[in-house]
Amino acid sequence: MKYMIMMFGGLGAAAQNRSPEWIAGMHELLMKLDTELKESGECVASEALADPGQAKTVRFAGGAPVQTDGPFAEVKESLAGFWIVDVDEERAIQIVSQVVGYTEYPMEVRRIMDHSAQL
Amino acid sequence: MTGQRRIEDVLRESTPQVLAALVRRYGQFDACEDAVQEALLAAMVQWPGEGVPERPRSWLLTVASRSLVDAWRIDGARRRRETAAALDPAGRAPAADLAVDVAVGLAGSGRDDTLALLFLCCHPALSPPSQLALTLRAVGGLTTAQIAAAFLVPEATIAKRIVRAKQRIRDAGARFELPAQPQRTPRLGVVLQVLYLIFNEGYTASSGPVLQRTDLIAEAIRLARLLHRLLPDEAEVAGLLALMLLTDARRAARTDPDGRIVPLADQQRDLWDVAAIAEGQAILTRTLGAGPVGPYQLQAAIAALHDEAPAAAATDWPQILALYDVLATVAPGPVVTLSRAVAVAHVHGPRAGLALLGTLDADERMAHTHRLEAVRAHLLEQAGDPAAARGCYLRAAKTTASLPEQRYLELRAARLHHRTCLPTRKAD
Repeated sequence: MKYMIMMFGGLGAAAQNRSPEWIAGMHELLMKLDTELKESGECVASEALADPGQAKTVRFAGGAPVQTDGPFAEVKESLAGFWIVDVDEERAIQIVSQVVGYTEYPMEVRRIMDHSAQL
Repeated sequence: MTGQRRIEDVLRESTPQVLAALVRRYGQFDACEDAVQEALLAAMVQWPGEGVPERPRSWLLTVASRSLVDAWRIDGARRRRETAAALDPAGRAPAADLAVDVAVGLAGSGRDDTLALLFLCCHPALSPPSQLALTLRAVGGLTTAQIAAAFLVPEATIAKRIVRAKQRIRDAGARFELPAQPQRTPRLGVVLQVLYLIFNEGYTASSGPVLQRTDLIAEAIRLARLLHRLLPDEAEVAGLLALMLLTDARRAARTDPDGRIVPLADQQRDLWDVAAIAEGQAILTRTLGAGPVGPYQLQAAIAALHDEAPAAAATDWPQILALYDVLATVAPGPVVTLSRAVAVAHVHGPRAGLALLGTLDADERMAHTHRLEAVRAHLLEQAGDPAAARGCYLRAAKTTASLPEQRYLELRAARLHHRTCLPTRKAD
């Protein structure tokens, strides 16, 4: 089964008012985890996204698509990055808990749809 | 050196010469390039078992020529007529002619052919990504897979890019020949730019979490050496090679063991490559003063001054600033202004550097890069304005697309915040 693990927030969302040592620790945790998941083969893909401030959102307004600067969601709830992991749900939650245990900031786990039909 | 490595090296070196010989003989760059790829594949299959042939280039040219002829044969009547005319108007058997062709082809190919090939791959009709991919393929001898891995894009993307690039060359009517003056100087400028882009892509990897890709760096330097060998009297070619060597010399110190960025001022200089620095300096010394000085030579001279300093504090900033002043007149631009501002700050103080940065605020070209804010942040920190510096570091962190840079800038911001926010201890 594949799950997407999502991290949220622009720069500073989790790291606001944290010490440089704490932030360096967070970077290290994320790098280490990424390496582990890739080496174990559990990670299918992972990416960090540019800061939500860099996003552009296109909405339908006045009968046409209109572009505005900024993300769709609130900055603190915008997607910051993701892992796609090929594991069962229990393992996905376990992975996520490692990060949340340090960052004290929410993360989401969501199943990726299958393309096959299950009768 | 393992057998496999030796085969790869021989193939890489032979590719441009074989391709050039084929194109000179038969024209049709795109078809010839396909044929050379077939020959390379055949070599990679057969040579490991049979060993590298005594005359590898002849082997490759023979196989490629056959592949070309076969492709034309399959292509139909029109091609058959073309082929017959190309091979021998008297209608001799192609195989017999092939031996003659091979000998003639290789005898004729030489420095001019590889140069012509390089100019062709860097034709102005092509987009820079196409120029890079084609140069790496046809002159660098890299496989499509190797190029794709270097640029972190799927192999199919590079394959399509090369096919389209070859079509564009054909449609643009580009000729396989050295451009004559006055086109040659600007065309050479484009070639240098392509090589510099390859180097830069490798040195400051523009995407992906790893900060440098040594395969591209090595390839850029190898091609620059080749060009320098072919055009020993061109000062800017020497300048570019020197710049690459003097910049790459610092590579080992540029990131810490965990892949974090280490700025120049904090680098462990005993990790710098002394031999590369010496070579870069020697090349530079030979070219400076030999004629009008160009931007690559100037940048190389600046890099040499950094590399000469045994410690950051010993850097000859006044001399570096003088060189930036010259560079600003020879090749003005926002990036030069940015670097010059850093030098100004070292010589005349951070406020003077900040004033120069102010002139870039209205420059559209700086609007979408994080660099202006990052430099401004450093100077504000030096000027003793941590709150403003922090704001700039965070702004820069939010606009960069490089993950290592983002983390570096985030940390610098956090260090300032923590310093300014920590409550002072009450005396006990």
